[in-house]
Amino acid sequence: MVAGVTGVLEASGLTKAFGELLVLDGVDLQARAGQVLSVLGPSGCGKSTLLRVLAGFEEPTSGAVLLDGVRLTGPSPDRGMVAQAGGLFPWLTLRDNLAFGPVASRRSPAQVAAVVDELLTATGLDGFADALPKQLSGGMRQRASIAQVLANRPPVLLLDEPFGALDAQTRLRMHEWLRALLAERPTTVLLVTHDVEEALLLGDRLCLLSGRPAKIVEELPVPFGVHRGRGVLADPDFVRLKAAVLERVLAA
Amino acid sequence: MSAALLEDALVAAAPGPPRTRRRAHGHRLLGLLVPLLLLGAWYVVSSQELLSTRLLPSPGTVATALGDFFAGDSTTTLAGVVPFTGAGFEHLGASLYRCGVSWLLAVAVGTVVGLLLGLSQLARDLLDPLLNALRAVPLFAWLPLALIWFGLGEGAARAIIFVGALWPVLVAVSDAVGRVPTAHVETARMLGTPRRWLWRRVYLPSALPEVVTGLRLSLTLAWTCVIVGELSGTDRGVGAMMSAARETGRTEQVVVGIVVFATVGLVADLLLRAATARWVRWSRA
Repeated sequence: MVAGVTGVLEASGLTKAFGELLVLDGVDLQARAGQVLSVLGPSGCGKSTLLRVLAGFEEPTSGAVLLDGVRLTGPSPDRGMVAQAGGLFPWLTLRDNLAFGPVASRRSPAQVAAVVDELLTATGLDGFADALPKQLSGGMRQRASIAQVLANRPPVLLLDEPFGALDAQTRLRMHEWLRALLAERPTTVLLVTHDVEEALLLGDRLCLLSGRPAKIVEELPVPFGVHRGRGVLADPDFVRLKAAVLERVLAA
Repeated sequence: MSAALLEDALVAAAPGPPRTRRRAHGHRLLGLLVPLLLLGAWYVVSSQELLSTRLLPSPGTVATALGDFFAGDSTTTLAGVVPFTGAGFEHLGASLYRCGVSWLLAVAVGTVVGLLLGLSQLARDLLDPLLNALRAVPLFAWLPLALIWFGLGEGAARAIIFVGALWPVLVAVSDAVGRVPTAHVETARMLGTPRRWLWRRVYLPSALPEVVTGLRLSLTLAWTCVIVGELSGTDRGVGAMMSAARETGRTEQVVVGIVVFATVGLVADLLLRAATARWVRWSRA
């Protein structure tokens, strides 16, 4: 654990049922402070529901969500969530979208401007401050969506297939960008994905979910350095691990 | 029909690429063509004396009357008789003021009630049936009641304009607010927006493009209702002038009233569109 960093997100015995339909069946997991936990599971297994419960959009049927040991209810700026479609408000310019969170938490105009300028640089979108979301490309929109959430400096970031709608090359670039961004601002990240390569490229650890109703079937460390880039894709260890994990996801 | 021909027909029937700005300008000029043709036809009909001037005065007579209406010498008339010459701005001002006050009130009430209906299931359950029933009452059916409640004149006129202008705003706001994507609301909550600010930060801006359409419809209807309201016996206003002109058989003055109504309606809509353009910019293709 990095010293001074908080943001341990825990799920203990999370169960979620919609009527008769059991979606989550006693999920236990822990995202360590400042690390990326990839949660991988077959399509339709309840990954998104898990993330929505962790974000506080859905009440668990039983079990609890804890942040640094404190039980949570309801959504909060402490747990920023980015979904596949992104969270940008189409009627606001990029600048106003990034300022949305800081303004909601009543930061001073000077503070808001400083946060927004910093994030515009970090996302490489300096020249697009006054553009509307529809004027941005898919990759730009997703970078902006992540930046919008990071503007609140949340200890925990929840990502729900954030790059799922992007083409393969853009996705690879986004992975490297996100790694670099997180290196500068230690944040606990829980990344839900069905893409094994993405889970291994970004995760420090990996949780495998079963098919519905979802529970954790396996948890393993991802043994590649913090500064892994696309070069690791050709690493024989990476290729072997990817094949092994894919095998287990398909068997789950 | 061969498959290739069928395909060609389908392609031809499909909507084309989005219109460019230049084409839009071309269309606007085309829009002048039909009114000019009608004016020409009117001129021919009246110069050939195909119809009596009492039924259809000549364009020249109407143009002179229009000039007199706004720029002629104001003549004193008998008490209770609406002056025409030189009183154009007074009549127009009275109509505009009446319409503006009632419209703004309708917009305020329609927005508040519409937000309430859009945001609260309880409000919908309580009010929806009643409002839908009231909405179906023809405007003219309110007129007798307005006259009984407010008497002949200003009050009844404003009440009629208010009722006419209310529904488009109310329906547009409640519909649009009810259709705001849940994802926007969740994102705003997650970013720390307190519940009590959601209407201001999410619901209203997200609903604005549809609301603007409602506002435009409402303004046009309000302006239409001015004549109904003014027939209830106001002594000033374009409608009052037309009513008096009809009684004295001055058809050209009635036509002047129609020209004024049409022009003001068109200009008001253009102004409203220009004023609200930046609210709807994000939703345009």
